[in-house]
Amino acid sequence: MFIRVLICLLPLALLFQTRPPVTFEEVPAATSKISWVHDNAHSPDRQLPETVGAGCAFLDYDNDGWMDIYFVNSGPSDFFTPSKPLKNALYHNNHDGTFTDVTDKAGVAGGKFGMGVAAADYDGDGNIDLYVTNYGSNILYRNNGDGTFTDVTDKAGVSAPGWSTCATWFDYDNDAKLDLFVSSFVFYDKSQNPLCTDPTLQRRYYCVPRLFKPQPSRLFHNRGDGTFQDVSRESGIAGSPGKSFGAVATDVNNDGLMDLFVANDTMPNFLFLNKGGGKFEEIGLSAGVAYGEAGRPRSGMGVDAADYDGDGWQDLFVANIDQEFFSLYHNEKELIFTDQPGEIAPATQLLSGWGLKFFDYDNDGDPDLFLVNGHPDDMIESRVPRVRHKEQLLMFENTGRAFKDVSARSGAVFSKMFSGRGMALGDFDNDGDDDVLTSNNGEPPLLLRNQGGNRNNWIGLQLVATKSNPAAVGAVITWQAGTLKRTRLKTSGGSYLSSHDPREILGIGSATKIDSIEIRWPSGKLDKLTNPPLNKYVKVIEGSGLK
Amino acid sequence: MKRNTASSHKKAQKAQDVVLCFMCILCLFVANVRAQRTDVVKIFEQVATLIRDNRLAEAEKELTAVLRVEPDLPVALNFLGTVRAKQSRLVEAESLFLRAARNDKSFTGPRMNLAYLYVLKGTPDKAIPQLQEVLALEPENAEALVMLGDIYLAKNDLQKAEENYLPALNRSLDNAGALFGLAQISRLKGETREAAIYLNRVATLSTDSKSPEFLYKFGLEAMRVNMFDEAKSALERALELKPKEPSYLLGLGIAVLRKGDLFEAEKLFRRLLAMQPNNPQAQLHLGYVLLNQKKYAEARLWLEKSARPGVAIPEVFYYLGLVAQEQNDDARAIVLFEKAVQKLPDYAHARIALGTSYMRLKNYARARQELETAVKLDPEEPTGHYNLALLYARIKEPERAQQEMQIIEKLKAKGAGNGSGVVVLPPKPNP
Repeated sequence: MFIRVLICLLPLALLFQTRPPVTFEEVPAATSKISWVHDNAHSPDRQLPETVGAGCAFLDYDNDGWMDIYFVNSGPSDFFTPSKPLKNALYHNNHDGTFTDVTDKAGVAGGKFGMGVAAADYDGDGNIDLYVTNYGSNILYRNNGDGTFTDVTDKAGVSAPGWSTCATWFDYDNDAKLDLFVSSFVFYDKSQNPLCTDPTLQRRYYCVPRLFKPQPSRLFHNRGDGTFQDVSRESGIAGSPGKSFGAVATDVNNDGLMDLFVANDTMPNFLFLNKGGGKFEEIGLSAGVAYGEAGRPRSGMGVDAADYDGDGWQDLFVANIDQEFFSLYHNEKELIFTDQPGEIAPATQLLSGWGLKFFDYDNDGDPDLFLVNGHPDDMIESRVPRVRHKEQLLMFENTGRAFKDVSARSGAVFSKMFSGRGMALGDFDNDGDDDVLTSNNGEPPLLLRNQGGNRNNWIGLQLVATKSNPAAVGAVITWQAGTLKRTRLKTSGGSYLSSHDPREILGIGSATKIDSIEIRWPSGKLDKLTNPPLNKYVKVIEGSGLK
Repeated sequence: MKRNTASSHKKAQKAQDVVLCFMCILCLFVANVRAQRTDVVKIFEQVATLIRDNRLAEAEKELTAVLRVEPDLPVALNFLGTVRAKQSRLVEAESLFLRAARNDKSFTGPRMNLAYLYVLKGTPDKAIPQLQEVLALEPENAEALVMLGDIYLAKNDLQKAEENYLPALNRSLDNAGALFGLAQISRLKGETREAAIYLNRVATLSTDSKSPEFLYKFGLEAMRVNMFDEAKSALERALELKPKEPSYLLGLGIAVLRKGDLFEAEKLFRRLLAMQPNNPQAQLHLGYVLLNQKKYAEARLWLEKSARPGVAIPEVFYYLGLVAQEQNDDARAIVLFEKAVQKLPDYAHARIALGTSYMRLKNYARARQELETAVKLDPEEPTGHYNLALLYARIKEPERAQQEMQIIEKLKAKGAGNGSGVVVLPPKPNP
């Protein structure tokens, strides 16, 4: 009798058994064989570019189906002569958790004072190319398809001299070619570094960007012949000079045209609304995303966009500097947003945020949020109580209409401190959950393996466009599994100075079958997938469906 | 009942303070005693020690013995008055001091004691003639001058107060009491800079002060002229001297809050609430701190606790409205802001928040009405102009929006608005 009762109770016990939380496990350099370290060129002169870099990327440069890694480093500039050669790094994924440095063979070492990277197949030849932003001028590396790249910057016309930060590939005019938005930071050169000192400390510190002149960002139209036309002025982008960092291409009004949300440091953020016909209108003020309370501009750095509450409208996120709070802008439709950060605000009051990304870390179908932090001023601890130079990572889980701080249960790495900057998202071990790569200022990078995200069921989509832009930016994916129905817009950019795995992992929680997947491509084509397989990556060809 | 307990505690506290003053005056007696017989002098020295050590029964025994021989001896009467004051037998104390003063018209000690006694009893007008008598005998008696200045200051007679503080200061430039009084006069006259100068001198002089009461008073005054560092330091020292005094904790919490350190302020208010869970000021301030840390759920809890029925100040409704606004409940926020505005029609911040909630609910006409009123009430407050700009931008009046943003730029250049990152105005600084 007793055994019968036990047997009856057993399934119940299993039901209530709590699953172990999803965690992120640090992959040590000894394991990954990633020995590259960022050199921030830190100097007694406290030149501003030293403190804002750098970015990183997950990309599959050799089309072997595994995410490789690219890091951006500092390099020679008008204020910095490296004592030893510095270079960006491309690491080939060996499919076994290790990576091999192939930078020199690939010819992508950079050699400038690097900032960020944006990876995409701009010429539609099936190979992922690299655009590297710098303090100085930028580099476009065209992928030759044989493991090597060629610097085609001059031919393409995208050098964008000055100080560029984030770059975003997207198709603003829906002509099926990837255009390029490049954020510009302040006007700066060696002679433009004012003396910012703390009289009590008798030491120089990094000047706040408020002291420097803003610069217009750039928009390059892809002509489709390997060259680009600078359309910054005619598009309206250049009409709003800023001190721009993070940028994300998204569609805030569901009109099928990709808009741009751009974070500015010590200036109002920009929301460039795509009006069609190649024109953008900056509507940050009326949308309520430009300023903090009291109309005070904040120090916007990292950004991202996602429909976090599943209402069908893209919400926005921007990370600011300490005491300014980070903002989660809920889309109220009609081009109006309200800041509803919930638990994120108190958790970030003392932090300065850079890399960040909405993604479904536990494959339950909704976007969660990962934040990478670090204060730009290395002397902040002697100047402001409780604010640290190195700061912790944060993980927030989506609870439906808000976010819950789950950092404490998400792994030991969340109790460590970093000078975090760039952050890229990608499934480097192809196990069906997104891993995280961060690039830290003056420190080794951090590769974090997602442990347990794939306990829920999933499908990974590699979208192969035939009529739309090669990255399928702007595609809308809708999937249903039982009562779970989700929609995701394929955005571009987001985070800070970094570039992400282009594949889309669709989580379905504990459901064991995906009822349907629909992909509405930017071209307008609709693909419906029936009986898609579970827990594996598949290629979806525009107009043909599953390959 | 609790109020009674608090008030008797306050009275006992005041009595203790006065007794301290009496103890100081003992020194005067000792000087007078030198003129008396040597054996009596010895007795009085002993009595002074006994009183100081709170051995009142023994002191009284000695004094009774002396008074049996010389019933009208002024010094003995004055001592016995002091004993009675320490025993809180104020009527008898007054009678003894009066007898002592009558018997020796040149003896200032009992008159000073009477002055302290009258202040303690809440009849400062009766203290004035006593102090004037003292000053007639000793025109440079700084203690009497400062005390008289304090009484006139409390009566808001700034001119007479100043007339007494200044000669005290002329006698000694280091007279902290006189400087403190002059600082308050300057502040009341709106001369904040002068007040700060006086208070800076007081701060230097009171570095080693052992009087927590004075440090507390100084701390509050320093806050009134935005000298938050000095206020914090004085209140910290007051708290070191009297670690369990709730008013000091509250004062320090407010000073820390005004310095913009929300985390430390939160700790102090929580400490105070551990001592006095129903302290409405502590609840209000903790709620305010949590509101600024965007911890809305807990902020609401404390703010609602602080709002005693019928006595809630407009700020409480305003703060609770902000919490509701942040929790996306604009309908409730509007009710709360309306209550704040009803209580205080000139409350610009509440009107700004009210306008903002109407804007969020897309009632642009009401939003405009409230926001335009708010910027008229407080043209220096950037939040009003910003929300008005937002509204104009939304109702497609971009030029007006730009004008409002330009006003914000000008205000920023002037340094208007608070720069601490704390957007919401704190409760009134007086604990």
